[in-house]
Amino acid sequence: MEEPRIGVYVCWCGTNIAKMVDVEAVTTEVGKLPNVVLAKNYKYMCSDPGQELIIKDIKGHNLNRVIVAACSPRIHELTFRNAVEKAGINPYLFEMANIREQDSWVHTDRTEATTKAIDLVIAAVRRVLYHEPLEKRSVSVDPATLVIGGGISGMMASLEIANAGKKVYLIEKTDHLGGHVVKFDLTFPHLSSAKQMMRPILQRVENHPNIEVFLQTEIHEVTGYVGNFKTTLRNKDNEGTELKFGNIIAAVGLKPFDPSKIEEYGYGKFPDVITSMEFEDMLGTGKILTKYGKEPRNIAIIHCVGSRNKKYHEYCSRTCCMAALKFVHQIRAALPSTNIFEIYADMRAYGKGHEEFYAMTTHKQIMFLMYDQQERLPVIRQANRSDDCNMIIEMDEKLSGLPIEVPVDMVILMVNMEAHENVKDVVHAIGVSLCGNQFFIEKHPKLDPVATTTAGVYIVGTCQGPKDIPDSVAQARAAAARILATIEGGTVPVEVTTSFVNEKLCCGCQTCISVCPYSAISFNEIKKVSEVNEVLCKGCGTCGSACPTGAIKCKHFTDLQILSEIEGIMSMSY
Amino acid sequence: MPLDTITSKPKLKLAIYWGAACGGCCVSVLDTHEKLLDIVAAADPVFWPIAMDIKYKDVEDMPDQSIDLTLFNGAVRNSENKRMAQVLRKKSKILVAYGACAYMGGIPGLANFFTKEEIFRRAYEESESTLNPEKIRPVPEYEVPEGKLEIPVFFNDVLPLNKVVDVDYYIPGCPPQSERLIEVFTAIVTGAALPPKGSVVGALEKTNCDECKRKKTDNKKVKKFYRLWEIQDDKETCFLEQGVICMGPATRGGCGVRCVEGNSPCRGCYGPPAACSDPGAKMMSAIGTMIDADKPEEIDEIIESIVDPAGLFYRFSLPGSILGRKLS
Repeated sequence: MEEPRIGVYVCWCGTNIAKMVDVEAVTTEVGKLPNVVLAKNYKYMCSDPGQELIIKDIKGHNLNRVIVAACSPRIHELTFRNAVEKAGINPYLFEMANIREQDSWVHTDRTEATTKAIDLVIAAVRRVLYHEPLEKRSVSVDPATLVIGGGISGMMASLEIANAGKKVYLIEKTDHLGGHVVKFDLTFPHLSSAKQMMRPILQRVENHPNIEVFLQTEIHEVTGYVGNFKTTLRNKDNEGTELKFGNIIAAVGLKPFDPSKIEEYGYGKFPDVITSMEFEDMLGTGKILTKYGKEPRNIAIIHCVGSRNKKYHEYCSRTCCMAALKFVHQIRAALPSTNIFEIYADMRAYGKGHEEFYAMTTHKQIMFLMYDQQERLPVIRQANRSDDCNMIIEMDEKLSGLPIEVPVDMVILMVNMEAHENVKDVVHAIGVSLCGNQFFIEKHPKLDPVATTTAGVYIVGTCQGPKDIPDSVAQARAAAARILATIEGGTVPVEVTTSFVNEKLCCGCQTCISVCPYSAISFNEIKKVSEVNEVLCKGCGTCGSACPTGAIKCKHFTDLQILSEIEGIMSMSY
Repeated sequence: MPLDTITSKPKLKLAIYWGAACGGCCVSVLDTHEKLLDIVAAADPVFWPIAMDIKYKDVEDMPDQSIDLTLFNGAVRNSENKRMAQVLRKKSKILVAYGACAYMGGIPGLANFFTKEEIFRRAYEESESTLNPEKIRPVPEYEVPEGKLEIPVFFNDVLPLNKVVDVDYYIPGCPPQSERLIEVFTAIVTGAALPPKGSVVGALEKTNCDECKRKKTDNKKVKKFYRLWEIQDDKETCFLEQGVICMGPATRGGCGVRCVEGNSPCRGCYGPPAACSDPGAKMMSAIGTMIDADKPEEIDEIIESIVDPAGLFYRFSLPGSILGRKLS
């Protein structure tokens, strides 16, 4: 190894770092370390002049390793890797010390924060000594895409990709396309017809030369990796059909919550207590009638059924408040003299045009009654013979503080959206993770909301979390754009910091295989050792820590690198 | 070159010493059986407390570097062990940490899960067989009318040999297999090219699992860990897959998998394989992956079924591992 010549750059980040950390002191202190050829500080290292400073020094001082002490590597590691690469250094001979998020932002004592910054930079210096150059790799991309789920999200994504001239395999579990939206009568907040909106979309998907639809089909296993996935269909009509594709979009949606779990509402017991989805079906028939064929004179709409309640689902389903207001308009149009009660917990009108829609609905001569989710749910009971209604809702009205009884002939339960029971099969097949609510987890909640931690696998629509039609479509088209970009590029970069097996040390215990979340490790029966598929490997390091022999190492995270870093951080203060 | 054909060469000077040891390592030298005759034909034992009567002072009086090979077994537990390690380092051309205790701390090293104070309190006050109402404890120096009496100072920490002196080679094992000793000894006597200083010799690069004949799969999910007597061993499936903790995957091979061949799980006496610095930590993370649980409470329950995990995973390696000892 050539003698390490390290350049250290301490960033002020304006005042973000410089206010709490004495950047001069850090620079002076780390400048004394062995192998540190120069140490400088600058107001904004990430700015063009900041990067230029590094590039100039690399050339002028013959540096072969660079450290920037600045913000989180999540933000600017790539910036600086690119900068050092421009100057001819392998980007993996760069290391970042996070003295902003992990230091200046979270401390209030300038002396201590400065000491900590010094420790963090020493750690980086000790680590970068053992960095090794790594080569970038990429794989070719199959231009076909697999879309799982034929609801509005899956269809819109399919159309976007197919219209760009690329092949789409659209897999739908049921016997029809359109998902939930095709069953809706009107959409909120514009009260336009869902069916009219969906009809041309369905036609275009079904007739598109680039879209191949597989109905009543489920995905059990997907093999391969970004750019080069494979699956074999196993349903009666398409038994054994093998599909190859470069990217995957999961648009498997959610399903309505089953309210029979909530005893208070008597769903299943009272025929005129129905779910919002059942009411949509009823609207589709053109008539609002009770089970006995009568026009209901009193209709209650109960919000948050199965939502925002720790007993069922803690999350907000996001669409039910507006759907409930939409029902008001539809009921009022059909039954001008029927009493309508909106029994809500909180009115959530966050979307574009939603608050206005809410305000407009309040003029429809309806009664808003508030209940407290945490205290007591409204209770539906059979009315007495003498009562002028079918059922009575007993509730503690929160705003007035009074216990009241609401006469009703029909109750619409605004049911929560929840995950499908068999979602784990899809999850396992395509290698995504689920959150506690069984929603698919995106790669980054803010900056990468449609990608997943598995390269080439995207999630759109409600399987990522409850959302309305515009949000679902936005995600679908965003994922399509991402995929088209990779198809256009022809190749995609794959993880560089993968793990690898030292065959001389591997004892064949296969512990690594059982823990790999990306199915990237297999057992070579002839050599009796584990082997890592470096295209599938994402460098998570799980195998490396599980391997009892130390035969698996992760590039850029070797024991030597990590232990040196730890020794570095402990060297001054302890 | 076989050992018995090299008697014409000048004889080597050989020392075998024990620190904090049980004597098993010294016995392993005798376990070479008739080969012992070859050993003494090729080398003169100049210092070997278990077999010869010689005083420390005689060793101290030897010229520096006059001993060709010293096999130091046992850990460094007290000032006597430390002093003799320093003396032998000075007098020896090649110093070998012989056996698990000299290499990583071994069984005596388990005392690093306690402090000196805890050990003394237990041994001199609390143990069931101790009657010591005045709570008398040993002291290193004691004045008597005849003069000053001295005993070695008991250290707080048990140390492997290389924490006290520079070590040339390591031969692991509790005790090392005698065949391995003969191989190493032959290499030294015949003047074969020696491996780089600091190497572990008389053992393999790979772990015990590599030599183990039991069937292994990637299905290592366990609902409960068992001790050997709690299961009916089928004698062919990997012990770990039967829920019995076997240190094989985190242990350097070379012993011939004797314990497993005898249907007992590996205890880890050959220490960590080449690329592993802390066999206990490595084994624990491997064991962590085997726990087949959905809920945190279930994980706790399964972990509870591991008796004395620290002692189990660090049985032979605590002082020489990154962990080193129990921190207060």
